[in-house]
Amino acid sequence: MNTKEDLLQKMATAVLEMEEDDVLELCAEYVAHGYDALEATTDGLAIGMNKAGDLYESGEYYIPELLLCSDAMYQGIDYLRPHIPQKSNDEKKYTAVVGVVEGDTHDIGKNLFKIMLETVGFEVYDLGRDVPTDHFLEKAKEVRADLIGLSTLMTTTMQNMSIVIEKLVAQQMREDVVVMVGGGPISAEFARKIGADGYAPDAGTAANAAKELVLEKHSH
Amino acid sequence: MGRIFKDQMTPMERAAALANCKDVDRLPCNPNVANGVSRVYGCKVSDFNRSARTLADAQIASYRRFGYDSVRIFTDLFPWAEAMGATLTLPEDSTADLLEPALKTKEDILNYQKIPVINPYKDGRLPIYLEAMKYLVDEIGSEVGCTAALVGPFTNACFLVGVEKILRMCLREPEVVHHLCQISLESLIAYADAAIDIGLGPTISEPMSSCTVISPAIFKTFSEPYLKQLVHHIQKRGKGVVMHICGKTAPIWNDIADMGIAGFSIDNVASILDCKHTIGHKTKILGNVDPATTMYMGTPNAVKLETLQCIKDGYDSPKGFVPMSGCSLPIETPFANIDAMLDTVAELGYPVDPQKLDSMIEDAKQLCAKE
Repeated sequence: MNTKEDLLQKMATAVLEMEEDDVLELCAEYVAHGYDALEATTDGLAIGMNKAGDLYESGEYYIPELLLCSDAMYQGIDYLRPHIPQKSNDEKKYTAVVGVVEGDTHDIGKNLFKIMLETVGFEVYDLGRDVPTDHFLEKAKEVRADLIGLSTLMTTTMQNMSIVIEKLVAQQMREDVVVMVGGGPISAEFARKIGADGYAPDAGTAANAAKELVLEKHSH
Repeated sequence: MGRIFKDQMTPMERAAALANCKDVDRLPCNPNVANGVSRVYGCKVSDFNRSARTLADAQIASYRRFGYDSVRIFTDLFPWAEAMGATLTLPEDSTADLLEPALKTKEDILNYQKIPVINPYKDGRLPIYLEAMKYLVDEIGSEVGCTAALVGPFTNACFLVGVEKILRMCLREPEVVHHLCQISLESLIAYADAAIDIGLGPTISEPMSSCTVISPAIFKTFSEPYLKQLVHHIQKRGKGVVMHICGKTAPIWNDIADMGIAGFSIDNVASILDCKHTIGHKTKILGNVDPATTMYMGTPNAVKLETLQCIKDGYDSPKGFVPMSGCSLPIETPFANIDAMLDTVAELGYPVDPQKLDSMIEDAKQLCAKE
């Protein structure tokens, strides 16, 4: 018989190995035992996704593998969701607003960033692709975002990232929020030049950096 | 303002002299001005979707303004997918983008075999490009090499069904991916033939084959077989092919060079030095000044420094080296930065004198440090 620890470990492995059906079976068995469903996402599924991110960084996994891992993870999360009790404690979850800047509809990098942010515990509001600069500010204000993540794959639309930052400054919101930029043409130097807080070369590293930056901001 | 160091030869004269080991004024150089030609000519980017004359005139105006060594009919990555049923956003004054792939629903995907091979003389914007090519050949074809941009079959297949979907399909439904690559190959061959008939040599951009996106194993299974056929077809028609792949490419350099391409253009995240050591004896290397941070956002001195550093890494590559940007330039790249790249190459001259190169690098470093 599988113990709780066995199940959590197997869930992580099933996510890492892109086995959606296994994930669902394991989740069913886990729920049938009456174990804490929230733990299954954070200590099971998300662990697998994190490992997938590590394999991506080390060059063993590529984007197709990451997409299938995340499919498996979300299948599990969807199954577990009804079994997760409404939050009893008021533990603060950090919020992020992400989107692809206006003029660009390539959202693969943004989607991966979103997945990895959720994996490290953010609540993520996804504005989608081709997002006008003002929408980032409006949404960030509405949800009191801790983080704004701006993505682009095209050199032609990079300037829209600096426009978002300028508008945050103009509306005196810049101090309240961590801004991360990412995407194919973006470099650490570009991020520094336009006054972003952070940049990382891939989604997994970026999500960990995001968490650190947000924690750092709140420790002040 | 404009170029400071004037060229002594036309690009054609330079290429011929280099090929015959005769004296030349400078290395060939290609800053890779894409839709930025609209800024030189004074038109909207979307004019290129409608008027072959404007597309050709803008290309000619930009070539005359900067004096670079290759002119290319390229507006975006999507005209072939568009001709096969994908829909695009065509913004008034920026680069076209994929709105929806040709196969949208599950049912579409089940009927994937219905996607037609294109007719380059009829479908989408392709006839406009072919007409523009004729103007280029007639008007500047005797002084500068004119090329027709193509994407590779795998990249085109991505736009037929959507990038994320096809990446999943590579692992889950390989036969669909193979079919989409095959019809993409046939379509791209039809277009390449039309361009070659006009007198242009094709170039191939294959961004989705980057190791930043797919593994070398997926590249070898789904991209390479079709890409190789496209290259070989073009070679059989008597034309060399320069290929560009964005992002990381080192793990597939040998596979690409072994296709027998005339040149490989690398992204700024790849290393010219490593590329030279790996495939420099097999093919010419082109690259790789950062198009965003340096060309678009940097100063002319920063452009000068990075161009010189690229040359230092690449100039002694056995099959030749061409200073180039690591990818197409952003539309609003300052003219002064494009001039700076070409002026740097002209000031250095040819054959490259390593001492002069080092002293120019030192000077550029000092100028950059003061900025």
